[in-house]
Amino acid sequence: MAACTRRAAEVLCSFRTFRQIQHQNERFISTSLTHHAVTGDGQPPKFTPPPKPVIVDKTKYDAPQRRFLSPEFIVPRSRTSGLKFIAERRDMIKRRKTLNIPEFYVGSILAVTMKDPYASGNVNRFVGICTQRSGSGLGATFILRNIIDGQGVEICYELYNPRVQAIEVLKLEKRLDDNLMYLRDALPEYSTFDFNMKPVPHNPSADVPINTVKVRMKPKPWSKRWERPKFNVQGIRFDLCLTPEQMQHAQKWAQPWQEFDMLKHHDTEHLKEAILKEVEAKLRK
Amino acid sequence: MASLACRVFRIKDPFLRVTHGLTATASSATVTLTTDGFMPVAQFVRTIKSSTWFDEHLTEDSAKFMRREVFEDFKQMTAEKLNPLKDEPWPRHEWEEGSRRVGLIAVKLGMMPIWTKSGERHVVTMLQVKECNVVKHLSKEEHDGVRPALLVGGKNCSPFQKSEEAVELFRNAGVPPKQKLSTFRVTENALIKPGTPLYAAHFRPGQYVDVTAKTIGKGFQGVMKRWGFKGQPATHGQTKTHRRPGALGPGGDPAKVWKGKKMPGQMGNRFKTELGLKVWRVNNRFNILYVHGSVPGHRNCLVKVQDTTLPQWAAQAKSLPFPTYFRDGDDVLAEDLYDDDMIQYAPQEEEATAA
Repeated sequence: MAACTRRAAEVLCSFRTFRQIQHQNERFISTSLTHHAVTGDGQPPKFTPPPKPVIVDKTKYDAPQRRFLSPEFIVPRSRTSGLKFIAERRDMIKRRKTLNIPEFYVGSILAVTMKDPYASGNVNRFVGICTQRSGSGLGATFILRNIIDGQGVEICYELYNPRVQAIEVLKLEKRLDDNLMYLRDALPEYSTFDFNMKPVPHNPSADVPINTVKVRMKPKPWSKRWERPKFNVQGIRFDLCLTPEQMQHAQKWAQPWQEFDMLKHHDTEHLKEAILKEVEAKLRK
Repeated sequence: MASLACRVFRIKDPFLRVTHGLTATASSATVTLTTDGFMPVAQFVRTIKSSTWFDEHLTEDSAKFMRREVFEDFKQMTAEKLNPLKDEPWPRHEWEEGSRRVGLIAVKLGMMPIWTKSGERHVVTMLQVKECNVVKHLSKEEHDGVRPALLVGGKNCSPFQKSEEAVELFRNAGVPPKQKLSTFRVTENALIKPGTPLYAAHFRPGQYVDVTAKTIGKGFQGVMKRWGFKGQPATHGQTKTHRRPGALGPGGDPAKVWKGKKMPGQMGNRFKTELGLKVWRVNNRFNILYVHGSVPGHRNCLVKVQDTTLPQWAAQAKSLPFPTYFRDGDDVLAEDLYDDDMIQYAPQEEEATAA
């Protein structure tokens, strides 16, 4: 099947090039004709070199690249001395100088290559969807989920573990939620990914695309009651698995006053900006 | 909380008359009862001296000025201690079998992971050696008659909250007042002159230390939380017996409860020592020790770190800086010292050029 489509694409491509050649010829003939008409004295026309072709590399973009700070750099609100985070950040930057840790989000599809003494060739590569990012500082982790031979597999990777050899983003996108742990209770098709998947190119200057897919769930019981307001899940088709009465009943656990609790507000914008500036300056060095 | 006590003074006493004049201006709670020839004064007097605050009778500007001046003084004191022209240090001795060095006082910062070259992950506690100085030398007779001791202080604090005697102690050493003061028993050859600053490089990666601190207080707890007893089932006919200790021991033969029986009581908030923790890394720039595992005490608490007393690590003492690491010495250390087993993110030479 794949071979067939490739052949078809080649044929199409050759058609296109042929047409282009034709066009150029036409233009050439027509311009020379008009030239002759203008001069009109039988003199051979003066040679004008064709304009130099401008090669546009479509993989590079003119727009400024999107700035991104990995969430583990953001200092949690606590009474811990700032020196702890400064010392830790220095180590994190050192690690990032040797290993390229790309920008990725919950919902992106990643491939992680890790040193593993028990694997053949001592290297293990795993592909999956990032379902959760947690931890701050050097202990930051992320979870990859995939279904292999019908069996759901989740691996929790440490971002700064020296055994990690490469982290590549196969598809950069966000989902409707910041935590996709509900994929455990969703149909397996939503967390099945091909290990030989080709990386999907993305624009580093535009906003990160948001995948608005809503998953269909397996029948209850689930590992958690995802309809409860505390999870605030947007990416589940609740209309297929729960009755309106059940959805109404889940609202019994709503805590609508929490969002007005000013002690829980923590604006990290200024903090983020300062840390991002520091990290960018040090990584460039 | 200021405790107030009611006292009756005779105003005839000339000494008290002076004090009365002072307090009457300051406090409005003074009640004067006048009778002919006898004038008792009922007034509220603060009896606990320690709860006064230094800026009680100062204007805001004056208090600010005092704070700033003291801070400047501290900076100057610290600079003088590091001055190479300072007076003669005490003679340094060589290490011998059975020598015991001084320890440090450090601030517990928090924990983080490290990885070894075999790929294992460990957690370490970061201890910052903050403004640590030797404060006083106690000779053998002054201390306990067996061994001399060194008083070591850590983390500068305000002198205004301290008593005059305590401030005097620090003034003699020429260092700012310290929040925490600890005694370290040392041998005669390991004595250090009071005022000497101590650094994290006193300890070296690969060595083992003991860390002492006050554990987090849990209050009065029952046996299940305090000692891990199993308790009794929740159901199956239990009445008023779910978290109780059960039997306390045998009956008629000893006819008593054995000493040391585990019972409910205060949990935590007592000094505890973790023995034999490995030092994985020493940061000389921020003076941070990376010590294996967890350490007693809460975040930002002051802990006491010293060479371990465990006999299995007695041989390590030979290779350590004796009596301590002096920064004005000839050996210039790298910014980070790592244990051989620990993975470093950047090679040493690259780091040296960056620093």
